[in-house]
Amino acid sequence: MSELPVVSIRRLCKSFDGVEVLRDIDLEVKRGEVVSVLGSSGSGKSTLLRCINWLEEPDRGSIHIGGVRMGVDERNGRPLSARRLASIRARTGMVFQGFNLWPHLTVLQNVTEAPVHVRGLGKEEARRRAVELLEKVGMAHKRDSYPFSLSGGQKQRVAIARVLAMEPEVVLFDEPTSALDPERVGEVLAVMKQMSAEGHTMILVTHEMDFARAVSDQVVFLEKGRIIERAAPGKFFTDPDSERVRRFLELSD
Amino acid sequence: MNGQAWLLLLDGAWVTVWISAVAIGLGVVLGLLVALLRMARIPFLEQLLILYTSLARATPLVTLVLFVFLAAPGWGLNLSREAAAILALTANTAAFNAEIWRGAFLGFSRDQRESALACGMTPWLLFRRIMLPQMLAGSLPGLVNEMTFLIKGSPAIAVIGLVDLSRVSNRIGAVTYEPLPPILAAALIYMAILGVLVRLQALAERKAGRLAM
Amino acid sequence: MNPWEIIWRARGAFLDGFLDTLAIFLLAALLAFALGCLLVYGLEGRTGPTRRALRGFIDVMRMLPFLVLVYLLYYGLPQLGVRLPAWSAGMIALVLYHGAYFAEILRGGRTMLPAGQIEAAQAHGFAPGKAFRRLVLPQLLIRTRPLLGNQLILALKDTAFLGIITVQELTAAANSVQSSHFVPMEAFLMVILLYWLISIGIELLIKWSARFGAKRGFEHV
Repeated sequence: MSELPVVSIRRLCKSFDGVEVLRDIDLEVKRGEVVSVLGSSGSGKSTLLRCINWLEEPDRGSIHIGGVRMGVDERNGRPLSARRLASIRARTGMVFQGFNLWPHLTVLQNVTEAPVHVRGLGKEEARRRAVELLEKVGMAHKRDSYPFSLSGGQKQRVAIARVLAMEPEVVLFDEPTSALDPERVGEVLAVMKQMSAEGHTMILVTHEMDFARAVSDQVVFLEKGRIIERAAPGKFFTDPDSERVRRFLELSD
Repeated sequence: MNGQAWLLLLDGAWVTVWISAVAIGLGVVLGLLVALLRMARIPFLEQLLILYTSLARATPLVTLVLFVFLAAPGWGLNLSREAAAILALTANTAAFNAEIWRGAFLGFSRDQRESALACGMTPWLLFRRIMLPQMLAGSLPGLVNEMTFLIKGSPAIAVIGLVDLSRVSNRIGAVTYEPLPPILAAALIYMAILGVLVRLQALAERKAGRLAM
Repeated sequence: MNPWEIIWRARGAFLDGFLDTLAIFLLAALLAFALGCLLVYGLEGRTGPTRRALRGFIDVMRMLPFLVLVYLLYYGLPQLGVRLPAWSAGMIALVLYHGAYFAEILRGGRTMLPAGQIEAAQAHGFAPGKAFRRLVLPQLLIRTRPLLGNQLILALKDTAFLGIITVQELTAAANSVQSSHFVPMEAFLMVILLYWLISIGIELLIKWSARFGAKRGFEHV
């Protein structure tokens, strides 16, 4: 008997100011899968990602996280209460292009904040786990520093540790390296690669083609709000069906 | 509340408005003077002005008005109530205005000053044609803001017996045994007066914004 | 007798007035600040009647002279059957008035907060209340520190108005001393000095608290 998909998106539609940004998106992500979402700017990939944790509210369609309906109460179709929404969100994690570390907290405090105040974990336990995670991403030596003193790559690695501290069922990456200097990109990709090797379920929106090719189990291409190709990386990057995808890959080289 | 009450309120409003207006006018000019003198860095004067600014900004208006009115005879000055009120309000608002002017001066970009001097302008010309107009525009929002504070503090003049809008509203209530309506009416009149100033402030901010300050 | 000798003899009255003013100021400042935070939280991401009501309250407080609010509470309410003692009316007026101003200051800081901060909080599963308390508010306080300090000094000065409705405070004490002993200049100079001392204390506190922001890289604050 197969397990429930971690993320299940059905017939998702979203418009901004009358412009359709997502049309009838269907997507399933299984446990341990790494899915890359590619497409040109304006194709809707960020919006799709942000709908998954309800930072954007879709107009139609459904999203399920581990079988639980996101954003809407399954029983009566009305929006979830703030508290219920927060508790489902806690099961996902998001890494932002702009890092979004909380500047008034130290690196260590950033990583322990959610486990202690959302999960209710004890301070000592949270601290212990935070140090472990910071060691894993190579930032333990900066645990008492404040975010303003870190480079972009360092901030992003801390952000990843912060997300992992909540032990999410799926980690969403919204162009995690786009705001980084080229020299810094590698250190973040290394961490992400390690995560995929450890079996985390990940959905990435990225421009790093080589990376997507190396770690993904599934690649999905969005064009004007529709998925026009989905394939394993082997096929996607060498022999895509769609002419549009071919052109995109050529231009990206 | 009958017509007579409204007339009394308008009388009180007039007292508030004219005394405030004089204090505002004097205070803006005096503030500029103080700011300029401070920038001149004359040894003893600078310390004195700093002391004045600090004290005047920390003193409540009620205290200052009482101080001026009651202590003036001791200085040989025979001040009418109105004069004492204007003096106190002016002394207070000038100190705040001095800081606002000073902030505008100090915030004046060095690049502009250097480029003007580099193309041969004398410091006086620089001041008159380049600094002053911009400082006026940049100070305007702060100055107008301070004007609203002066009007909001103006009821302090009632403590020395001036029958301003706030005092009138009290008196009417004491006579009619219905204190609420006149106080509400006074509140509305104050809000109308301040509303005019707030609109001016928005205009001033827009003007300052257009100059990209 | 030397006027300053008279002042020295009346030092008990000045001390009492000083402590009265200090007590009123500290309590009002605390409560007003709490109210300001609540109001800003109330405005957070809300639309509709609640927001309009809160916004309206803040706007009205900013357009009224403080003394008029005091009169409304002390002289006006009895007509509706609510009779407040002078100290309570004064305290409530201070809290409502300066609470609205604190809210406006914090709201100004709020607009400068990057949206990503909130999104990161939401993405980690923080419910709105917790996100505001632990992640938004601390940053607002750091950013608006000088303006908050300024507002505290304004609140201190407004306590002097309360003497008009017979609350015991410093200016009333000075007035009473000078009218009994005919030393107006010295009496008021004394209290001007005392107000000045308190306000310098506030400014020092604000300067000292700059370290919180500086340590965390908040510049230009």
